[in-house]
Amino acid sequence: MAHTIENPTSSNAKRRPLLIGFLAFLLLLLAGFFMLWQRYQILLDDRQSEMSAIIDVAEQNIDQSLKYSYSAALSLALQIDEDGDIENFDEVAPQLVDNNPNIDAIQIVPGGVITKVYPLEENKDALNYNILKDSTRNGEAFKAIERKQMFFAGPLELKQGGLAIVGRLPVFKKNEFWGFVAVLIEFDNLIDQSGLEELAGDQYHFQFSKINPLTKKEEFFLKKDHKLDKSYSEELVLPDGGWKIYIIPVDPQKAFYTLIPVAIMILVISGAIGWIIYNTLKQPAKLQQLVKEQAGELAKSELHFRTIFNQAAIGMARVDSKSGMILEANKKFQDLLGYSEEELKQKDYKVISHPDDLSENTQLMQKLSRDEIREYSLEKRLQRSDGRLIWVRINVSPLWEVGEEVSSHIALVEDISARILVKQKLIDNENRFRSLVENSNEIILIVDDLNNVKYYSPSLAKISKYEEIDFAANGVLYYTHPDDHDLLRLKVEKAYQNPGTPITDIILRVKNAENNWFWVNATLTNMLKVDNVNGFVVNLRDITGKKEAEMNLVKSYELVMEQNKRLLNFAYIVSHNLRSHSSNMSSILELYDTEESQEEKDSYVKLLNKVSRNLDQSLHDLNEVVSINTNLDIKAEVINVAEFVDQALDVLSLQIKTKDAKIIKDLPVDMQVNFNAAYMESVLLNFLTNALRYSHPQRTPVIELRGYKEEDNWILEIRDNGIGIDLDKHGEKVFGLYKTFSERKDARGVGLFITKNQINAMGGTVKIESKPEVGTSFKVRFK
Amino acid sequence: MKKSIYVIDDDEIYQRIIKKLVARADVFQQASFYMNARKALHDLNFTNSEMPSVILLDINMPVMDGWQFLKELEKSFPNLYTQTKIFIVSSSIAYSDKEKINEFPMLSGFLSKPLSVEKLREIGEYIK
Repeated sequence: MAHTIENPTSSNAKRRPLLIGFLAFLLLLLAGFFMLWQRYQILLDDRQSEMSAIIDVAEQNIDQSLKYSYSAALSLALQIDEDGDIENFDEVAPQLVDNNPNIDAIQIVPGGVITKVYPLEENKDALNYNILKDSTRNGEAFKAIERKQMFFAGPLELKQGGLAIVGRLPVFKKNEFWGFVAVLIEFDNLIDQSGLEELAGDQYHFQFSKINPLTKKEEFFLKKDHKLDKSYSEELVLPDGGWKIYIIPVDPQKAFYTLIPVAIMILVISGAIGWIIYNTLKQPAKLQQLVKEQAGELAKSELHFRTIFNQAAIGMARVDSKSGMILEANKKFQDLLGYSEEELKQKDYKVISHPDDLSENTQLMQKLSRDEIREYSLEKRLQRSDGRLIWVRINVSPLWEVGEEVSSHIALVEDISARILVKQKLIDNENRFRSLVENSNEIILIVDDLNNVKYYSPSLAKISKYEEIDFAANGVLYYTHPDDHDLLRLKVEKAYQNPGTPITDIILRVKNAENNWFWVNATLTNMLKVDNVNGFVVNLRDITGKKEAEMNLVKSYELVMEQNKRLLNFAYIVSHNLRSHSSNMSSILELYDTEESQEEKDSYVKLLNKVSRNLDQSLHDLNEVVSINTNLDIKAEVINVAEFVDQALDVLSLQIKTKDAKIIKDLPVDMQVNFNAAYMESVLLNFLTNALRYSHPQRTPVIELRGYKEEDNWILEIRDNGIGIDLDKHGEKVFGLYKTFSERKDARGVGLFITKNQINAMGGTVKIESKPEVGTSFKVRFK
Repeated sequence: MKKSIYVIDDDEIYQRIIKKLVARADVFQQASFYMNARKALHDLNFTNSEMPSVILLDINMPVMDGWQFLKELEKSFPNLYTQTKIFIVSSSIAYSDKEKINEFPMLSGFLSKPLSVEKLREIGEYIK
């Protein structure tokens, strides 16, 4: 499956909050400044209103002033009689001027000439001045005349000095212009009375202007250096004089300036809010970015997981925990079972599990489903597509959290067939070895260094009859033959010095439960340091049979060697014997050849004849000897010894009679032996003949024949009272071939040799006891 | 110097032969023949004649064999070998007899039967 990750254009996301923040900033700024502007307008309006109010008050004050001036002028004008004379000017004028602070002076100007003036002193220079004739000033005078109303001219530079406003009230007599009553108000006084100075305070400036009637230009009268910025001014038009009063804020920018901190504040606040908005807006973007990054990470780890899942060297499968159906299986798992993923996806895990393993698996699965366990592992068998069973170890982990609904689980599947096989082999081996140990004829013991027997094989009882064995109580030596103690000590010492090396072939005798010694071949292995053994392994093989066979073998060997030696000797003896004849022959023939006398020659022939007979006898004896030694299949039969003795005595009856020998027989009737009949005959004859032949010349020969049993063997004893034989001198030679011990010419040294050989051939033995001059006794022991 | 010889052998026929051979060799002025070693020993011990120049001795004899004879002789005549050359004469010799010869280092040698006139003369020359 292709999983692509959408990578958003991050610049947009970053730019948007900035834009919004900036817009917010602008908006706030705009709003702020709009408010500020309104505020500014209000401030301006307030100022304007204030200025209007000031102007109003000033207007009222000036108007008041002018009204007073008018009333004063009118009051004086009423004093003028029909003739145009005024009688009580000096009375009225001071009253008017002094009581009215608004008026500084009052004049009577008939026909335009100033005739009277009060206070005179300050204004005497103006007397007789014809205002109508002064073109610089008459404009306004004429205007007043034309309008027939009081009109205030000026401020003018007065003839008498000073700047003042002149209010001229035209006085008509009989509808004819008479002249003016003029009121002078000093300009300073007027301004004073208007209250402008107080009203304006230090906040405002004001200006007083008038359109010059001549130049038609606006003239300003206050010597203040202020620019008259009409945009900030409020003006008051006084129609009575054609004046304008302007009021101007001292600091027209003050309102603006006062708002600067506010503006700054707004700027800051807007900026701050814009920044906050930017940041606030950026936060979700950041979060979004984070989410997207994490989604990327997630996708990556999903990819990793996917890769691990698919590439893992261990089989993995995701399984529906409720149905048991395999949902996903990785390559290794597919390979393990020999199914494709599609095939696996249609399978319940229970179907491919060995039935014997299912109940355990199901139990574990139920525990997992109930959240009793959070994982489990199990060794079980799975069936491959080819029907083969494999051993696997599965590790199962749920894919749901505790408390969540059971969904699916992941199973890690490891092929452990090889291990199980090895383990099984080990178990088999163990069983095999165990059965070997337990069934063997060897006793196997494990003994620790404190003589505690840690293990003994069942063969112990079989071989030694001990039900159990306790070296600790009696010591090992108790069980060992005293002659073997040194050997055992030596070997134990050796085993101590050579851990791990079996000390073999320790042959010794040990005691069984019945107190009998038996031979064992022991092997001692020091395994004190080997775990699970921690002792000496002692193998004891009963070799009693073998030992006995060995001893028999040694005996046989000795026997054979003896026989061999005997045979060798026999061969020499025979060769000696034969050669003595042949050498005699050759010597006789040589003598014969060189002899001249016929008589001598005849004697040599006779001698040769004798040699020939001797040779014949020797060959006959030899034949007899050899036949005993070579005739292996000679038959033994049950023989009644007494019967054969009687037969032999019968044969020798003549000699017995001649020698007058006495025969004593003590032979049980049941004395039956296994022997060859001819041999028995020969043996008896030989012994009896010898007894008779070597009888003592001074005694009646007595020959005793006795039969008895010794340790289940029949013994035949033949005792005589003959000349005897010096055994100290001749010893065992008595049974040797060609050994003769007497001076008798007929002794050939063959009889006893043959007799002994015949007895030996039948498995018997013969022993001789003899004393010279006393007698000889032969003891035949039958098999 | 007079050369004398003793022959000790129980073989009757050999005795006949050796007598003839000694006679024919004609190197010994005196010769004694014994079939019984005991008899020879007795004669050597109890006759006043001189010790023989040569003794030819058989081994396998009844009653007293060659070895027993030698032992007895050595007892009686410790300086025996300075004047008497003793030869063992036999038709063959058993292994055990060969070992026995080594027990008597003073023996002059071993002669194999049959002896001849030439052999006897050689011995006669040898003793001077």
